[in-house]
Amino acid sequence: MLKYIARRLIIAIPELLIISFMVFMIMEAAPGDFLDQYKLDPSMSKETLEAMRKELGLDQHPLVRYFKWLSGAVRGNFGYSFYYRRPVSKLIWERVAATLTLSLTSLAGSWILGVALGTFAALKKYSLADKILTVFAFSFIAVPSFFLGLLLLYLAARTGWFPIGGMISIDHNTMTTWQRFKDLLWHMTLPATALTLGSMAGLMRYMRGSLLDVLNEDYVTFARAKGMPERIVVFKHAMRNAINPMITFLGFSISGILGGSLFIENIFAWPGMGRLIYQALIQKDLYLVITSGLISAVLLVVGNLVADILLALVDPRVRLT
Amino acid sequence: MDFQEKYLSRGQLIWRAFLKHKLGVGALVVLIVLYLMALFADFLSPYNPAEQSLRHTYSPPTKVYRTYKGQRTKPYVLPSMSYVDKITYERTYKEMLFPRRLVIEKADGTRMTYELGKDGVESFKFSVNRVESIKVNGQWYDVKKSPAITDYFLFNYNENVLNKGVSRFETTSAVAQEMFFKTYKDRFGLTSEYDVEAVAVTEILDSIVIKKDGKFEMIKGKVVDYDYKTYPIKWFIKSWTGKLLWLFPSKLHLFGVDNYDNNQFVKFYIMGADLFGRDVFSRIVFASRISLSIGLIGVFITIAFALVFGGISGYYGGLVDEAFMRFAEIIMSIPGFYLMIMLRAVLPLDLPSTQIYLLIVFILSFIGWAGTSRVIRGLVLSIREREFVEAAVAIGLSNWKVLTRHVLPNTTTYLIVNATLRIPGYILGEAGLSFLGLGIREPQASWGLMLAQAQDVYVITRASWLLIPGVFIFVTVLAFNFVGDALRDALDPRSLG
Repeated sequence: MLKYIARRLIIAIPELLIISFMVFMIMEAAPGDFLDQYKLDPSMSKETLEAMRKELGLDQHPLVRYFKWLSGAVRGNFGYSFYYRRPVSKLIWERVAATLTLSLTSLAGSWILGVALGTFAALKKYSLADKILTVFAFSFIAVPSFFLGLLLLYLAARTGWFPIGGMISIDHNTMTTWQRFKDLLWHMTLPATALTLGSMAGLMRYMRGSLLDVLNEDYVTFARAKGMPERIVVFKHAMRNAINPMITFLGFSISGILGGSLFIENIFAWPGMGRLIYQALIQKDLYLVITSGLISAVLLVVGNLVADILLALVDPRVRLT
Repeated sequence: MDFQEKYLSRGQLIWRAFLKHKLGVGALVVLIVLYLMALFADFLSPYNPAEQSLRHTYSPPTKVYRTYKGQRTKPYVLPSMSYVDKITYERTYKEMLFPRRLVIEKADGTRMTYELGKDGVESFKFSVNRVESIKVNGQWYDVKKSPAITDYFLFNYNENVLNKGVSRFETTSAVAQEMFFKTYKDRFGLTSEYDVEAVAVTEILDSIVIKKDGKFEMIKGKVVDYDYKTYPIKWFIKSWTGKLLWLFPSKLHLFGVDNYDNNQFVKFYIMGADLFGRDVFSRIVFASRISLSIGLIGVFITIAFALVFGGISGYYGGLVDEAFMRFAEIIMSIPGFYLMIMLRAVLPLDLPSTQIYLLIVFILSFIGWAGTSRVIRGLVLSIREREFVEAAVAIGLSNWKVLTRHVLPNTTTYLIVNATLRIPGYILGEAGLSFLGLGIREPQASWGLMLAQAQDVYVITRASWLLIPGVFIFVTVLAFNFVGDALRDALDPRSLG
């Protein structure tokens, strides 16, 4: 097992290098650069722009810049953001906490609810409950996440039950720890609900289908035939195998943790990574973009690895070599 | 065994299996209606989608009346405008009363009837004396008098000017108190705005100016009866020039309000208006062209890509297969929406709408082809081993012919289902990009772009009808999902019986 993990991690290194280089080249190939937005500004003289270009290192050859960034990145220095004029690592670090709070909550919520409801629907297939859940799932699959966000925002604005944006209240700093926690929870309710509902619906359908497939397998019939209690048949035999495709799916969703909530972050003014990366892309804030690209790639690799390990733990038929 | 089964063709069998799906059939009908809407957008829209009317910023859906003075009539609307009250500074929508027939009792007791268009009567104007007064220490003081000439009154506001000769509006709103305190604190020696106990506006009808045969006639007297202008709603009305099916200029539209005297306050917004006073319904109808076509075109290109890549790599195998599939995996491994934003963001942001449209179609298809091509490859790999392919090879057909005539047609079933289930992804993709301001640009409309206007909390609470385009996205996506689901069942050989 350890050998397998080690091998996967070693393979990941060239993969990450290629992805970071690709992102860098795409950004370079795109017309214009960070300073374009200042070109129309009459208060910026040509000389100032030239000086800025030099200061930001945009006058150097792209390859030189890439390797400079890379040698820094290896030592933990990911360069400076052009726009914020601050180290990229600090910027991202500040935002990662906000995004992780939101996306991990909704990830946990959607998985627990999705798997539970999916299992329930599969066990009670074609019952009224199953039909209601089906309609519910289809509706939430069809609602675009930003529309769901807007609807919840409308609800918040109309009723005043929830804050209409941001992550903390103005007087957050004067609160006790318990109050702070409640305040954060209160701000998080709507964005987390929007994210959870969206992904839960898909997971539920997936789980239902996969469990139904497994329940038709011969070994389930066999287990039932030899008189095994239904509870054990379902939860020990069927579930373990039904969850298999879901785990691969989990690997993918881990990679989406940082960026997946872009719309919701935008709508609820949540100070997270999604918005940071989006703005960086629009402004062509080079190092911020590559670093966040690198982080997503790392998450993708880690997510897939975690999924593979979990798969081996859950499914007895899978052997890691 | 049902006797029919022997005589039905495969197409009929599939259709019969499809009809068993109630939801699928319903969804298909919805889709057909939506696409017809896109096709006949010009005919369906009462207004030009780009036409602005700043008097109607965030106008709510226009109220349709069915009674006039207590009697049932044909449906009609009233002129309306966004009105900022000069006293309370509140912005509201008010409907307007334009008189068209007046019965006036003059000082000497004679009654005269004037009706627009009859006896040479051309227009009515009303000279109104406006008096502002404030209440201090329980006593009313008139502070400002100004005459005004107007040709309309506002419902529920100063319509009493017409039927009583005097209208009085009293308020204790904080804004009014503050404004009047600022202006008159010195004159009345006020110390705080609460000293202004109330503010009132009284409007008194002074005289009526009637333009008759080109001459003006001033009449003093009391209005004893009047009729006001109503604007009937009609089917098949002629208004703005649209292009039927992109080709034939046509002024005919399905419905609209008969604006017979070109009153600029008259609008018929069934779904309200946006920031620029553009008709939300017309824009939704026109936006459907973009939102609905992008899915179809995108899927078409994706499938073409997938067929070429998947077909070739499955049929030839070896190094080609390896290269194609590794490339497909790289594209699949990047989260879709991120790849989309990235591709979009690195390309110039200020393109004309038509180019953006093409660009988005391209980006969406570029992201979508990888997954489909892998499945096609898998199918081709298995079809390749079947006897009829061997037979085709044996009779000496070229590789290309075997692939296009015998192998790929066998993937059609999968492709049709895949396409219907994939289209929602494209619609959502375009909507998302436009919502973020990276897609279709103003003044063109797409459902996502229209929702972008509703991002602001203050806008949503004031103009919640701006959320309607989201409902259209929802319905379309849901319908495609149901149709796809029903198709999958119908095309499944086991369901054909």
